[in-house]
Amino acid sequence: MHIPDGYLGPATCGVFYALMLPIWGFASNTVKKTLKARQVPLLAIGAAFSFVIMMLNVPIPGGTTGHAVGAVLVAILLGPWAACIAVTVALVVQALLFGDGGITAIGANCFNMAFIEVFAGYYLYRVISGSSPITSNRRVIAAGIAGYVALNIAAFTTAVMFGVQPLLHTTPQGQALYCPYGLNVAIPAMVGEHMLIFGWVEAVVTALVVKYLQKQDPSLLAAGEGVAA
Amino acid sequence: MKRANNFIERSLMGALSFLKESIFADELAARPGFLQSLDPHVKAITMFSFIIIVLFAKSMLLVMYLYVQCLLLALCSKIRLGFFLKRTWIFMPLFALFIAVPAIFSVFTPGEPLFRFQVSGIAFIITRQGISGAGLFVSRVITSVSYATLLSLTTKHFVLLKVLRVFKIPQVFVMVIGMCYRYIYLFMEIVENTYLAIKSRAGVIIRYRHGQHIVAWNIAQLWQRSYQLNEDVYSAMRSRGYSGEPVILNGVKTGKRDWFWLCYALTLVIGAVYFTYWRR
Repeated sequence: MHIPDGYLGPATCGVFYALMLPIWGFASNTVKKTLKARQVPLLAIGAAFSFVIMMLNVPIPGGTTGHAVGAVLVAILLGPWAACIAVTVALVVQALLFGDGGITAIGANCFNMAFIEVFAGYYLYRVISGSSPITSNRRVIAAGIAGYVALNIAAFTTAVMFGVQPLLHTTPQGQALYCPYGLNVAIPAMVGEHMLIFGWVEAVVTALVVKYLQKQDPSLLAAGEGVAA
Repeated sequence: MKRANNFIERSLMGALSFLKESIFADELAARPGFLQSLDPHVKAITMFSFIIIVLFAKSMLLVMYLYVQCLLLALCSKIRLGFFLKRTWIFMPLFALFIAVPAIFSVFTPGEPLFRFQVSGIAFIITRQGISGAGLFVSRVITSVSYATLLSLTTKHFVLLKVLRVFKIPQVFVMVIGMCYRYIYLFMEIVENTYLAIKSRAGVIIRYRHGQHIVAWNIAQLWQRSYQLNEDVYSAMRSRGYSGEPVILNGVKTGKRDWFWLCYALTLVIGAVYFTYWRR
């Protein structure tokens, strides 16, 4: 789902940088208030954790690359605002050091994975979990559903970004300047493969990790709820 | 159904390649080449400028000029061309090429027909607009990827992350990014050791569902261990003087060569803007 440089036009890149700036600012302030000083390294740990989960890349047609993002999992463990920063940091490290995801597309990638996926997944998890105990099976199911749905929502927003490029940037002669496929191709291609393959990977990973943590150390799951704004 | 445990091999390869890449990049960054000799701040600003020019460019000629310049910079920075081409073309640009191919046909890009052919009675038309659009798209991707790769190959990774300060990114972010990079090393080692242990016990065949459980268990274990580590890291930070506000050290000086290079990049930016938007 990482969008490389060259797929999105300057207007789209600029808009998503502009959209993410206040989100990063608000996330930074919220985390400062909610995280204690001794929990600051946790942000870096969360970012590295997010990076490790995202490391396995598989090329996919229609979009760019596919893998388990783990954004919902990080949100469940750290809370949504801290997860927003953690996933952002992981995406910046990937783009700068490993060329995975474009530098000009960092704003767009962060919007999809560090904002849309994190918040959609986290709140869906909270709604489905309700007031059930930390160790209940309902939370495992909630985590799976949240992982699946949030990834597909993020895939949809990514597809829309790709799909609007021919509308925004085409020469008078009809030549596409950036991603050459419209919404009618980009949405079915991106959402289809995420609904059929990668969404399930995300759901299984998120649900199973929650299940293992319930058995091993349920306090780690409670910690994420403690730092949610 | 039983399957060969490819996910173990892949995870191991991923972890190993990460560690190898980091060490190799630091080795290349230490070579006495042109880009290595520049102030990292200036280098990052100019490389980002080139990537932004590529983003705005509407002409294939301009993008190709920038691509050739990138290859020359790689050569001047003691990076073997074969290695650089292999490194930059594999994956993203090849994938871009793969997805650009259907766009050359009239179904996706209507326009002036260049070639027509039939396969099983179905007519295919390749259009001029399709060819030039796909060409520009692929060359834009490869040129951008090449500049980003060149920057990361000629700059020590931890220095590159510190350079972010020049873009007015809050220090807390820069500190978290720097710490994250060190943690990635640690996590990769944990992943590598754990998967090696699993491989030595599970053999070459593993059940699909069991494989999923192994991956999830590893992620959960990793989180548990890292959470416990948090307390130790905070104590270490306190013992080194951390009082809640991060301070990042900086000792790089900007020389004449850096200013010349910056002037050249600025001229190129102005030229590219003129060429793209005002020259008609």
